[in-house]
Amino acid sequence: MIKKKNISDKTINVACACISIGAFLFLWYWGTAFTKLGMLIPGPVEVLETVTAGFFGKVGRHSILVHVGYSMIRVMIGFIVGSVFGIVLGLLMGWYRIAEAIFNPLFRIIRPIPPIAWIPISIIWFGLGENAKIFLIFLASFSNTTLNSMAGAKNVDREVVNAAKMLGANERQIFTTIVLPASVPSIFAGLQVAISSSWATVLAAEMVRSSEGLGWMIVAGMNNNDMLQILSGIVMIGVVGFILAIIMRKAEDILCRWNKSGN
Amino acid sequence: MEEKIKVKVNHLTKKFGDLLVLDDMSFNVTDGDLLCVVGPTGCGKTTFLNSLTKIYDITEGEILLNGQQVNPKKQNIAYIFQGDSTMPWLTVEENVRFGLDIKGLPETKKKEQVEKYLEIVGLTKYKNYYPKQLSASMLQRVSIARAFATEPELLLMDEPYGQLDIELRFKLEDELVKLWKLTRTTVLFITHNIEEAVYLGNKIMILTNKPTTVKKTIVNDLPRPRDIAAPEFVKLRNQVTELIKWW
Repeated sequence: MIKKKNISDKTINVACACISIGAFLFLWYWGTAFTKLGMLIPGPVEVLETVTAGFFGKVGRHSILVHVGYSMIRVMIGFIVGSVFGIVLGLLMGWYRIAEAIFNPLFRIIRPIPPIAWIPISIIWFGLGENAKIFLIFLASFSNTTLNSMAGAKNVDREVVNAAKMLGANERQIFTTIVLPASVPSIFAGLQVAISSSWATVLAAEMVRSSEGLGWMIVAGMNNNDMLQILSGIVMIGVVGFILAIIMRKAEDILCRWNKSGN
Repeated sequence: MEEKIKVKVNHLTKKFGDLLVLDDMSFNVTDGDLLCVVGPTGCGKTTFLNSLTKIYDITEGEILLNGQQVNPKKQNIAYIFQGDSTMPWLTVEENVRFGLDIKGLPETKKKEQVEKYLEIVGLTKYKNYYPKQLSASMLQRVSIARAFATEPELLLMDEPYGQLDIELRFKLEDELVKLWKLTRTTVLFITHNIEEAVYLGNKIMILTNKPTTVKKTIVNDLPRPRDIAAPEFVKLRNQVTELIKWW
């Protein structure tokens, strides 16, 4: 019964998504074909044609897929390193009072600073190469994962901890067998925000200085007054972001399947 | 035959700041007892149990298990809490295994114990389920199986059936008696339900209102299975009720 309901919910969700995207594309098409909006931006068909052409041809020195690849590699390195540091620090701060007392004041100061505010410093520290971009993405994912991991560790059910203690678990075992798994849903919530944030940051970083990547595509389009290239870059960001969100959701479904009710 | 003392409590005192909760309590628990502890609501029953297990540091006195200072890290003590204490990210089977993994038992022994206790509590066919997929009574059965699987020297139960309806409570009480008879584990069962105490315990310890002391310990030798409507049962229940009255 429950399974049937899930399938039906899923179908409804997919149908609603198709309708809303279809309606948006239709409005875009209608606006550009039949109103003055067409003088400002190209229509969806032209953008789709440009994107398709970009897959097989070149935009600048590379195809669109290569540009996506460059941006993705930067995001993945910064995101993974930032998330690992964020998860470890967040769990330590959430579980050990002394770690919270030492690191939390510093973290509270750094956290509100948007990653793009670090662009000048990162260029001075790391130059105009890859390291500066990866550093910015590191900051973007680090803050979000730290905050959520800390919340996860703080909210571990004390009764479960006491049960583990009574079964003989020592401090290390409590941390690894109770605190860490209990925090996984919160960690994933942080990772979801972190991946979006990392993606936004890589674009900002590429816009400052690069010769490849989706951020470069948009800036180069702006410099050349090429609206089709700008929109192709924006569409690809949307598509890649959507795919990343789905991958994250699937990973969460697998690792947190215990967090779902029903048989 | 001389009875072996399992737990010896000498002058147990617990204060929270100036508030005296447990006042100079001394008593013994015999090996293999199913001792039910009853007392007025809010008299500090959970504090009493948490002090016994060192979840709370005691203010004065000593607690000996098998003649040694009680220490859950060194001695094999299990605790079943009032609420659900299953690990939601582990399956039923993994939950029952948890204590055995912590204690580092050999794989064959772990497998044997898990299968045995899942069978006893009737959860074998649910072994791959997660706690969120189970009912409240099934969750308590997981906790019970997890506790008994470690073959504890002492099992402490803090109103484990307090949140269940009467039918499930009776079912789980019978299950506990079955497990206790089978394993002869020493059990300290805290409850505010007098009928439950008389139904389960071979001894009943009655606590006073705060500051808590031991009022009396009654030996309950009613034959099992016990009939809650039998005149002897009702008589004992009334006797405990009279002793528990503080007004």
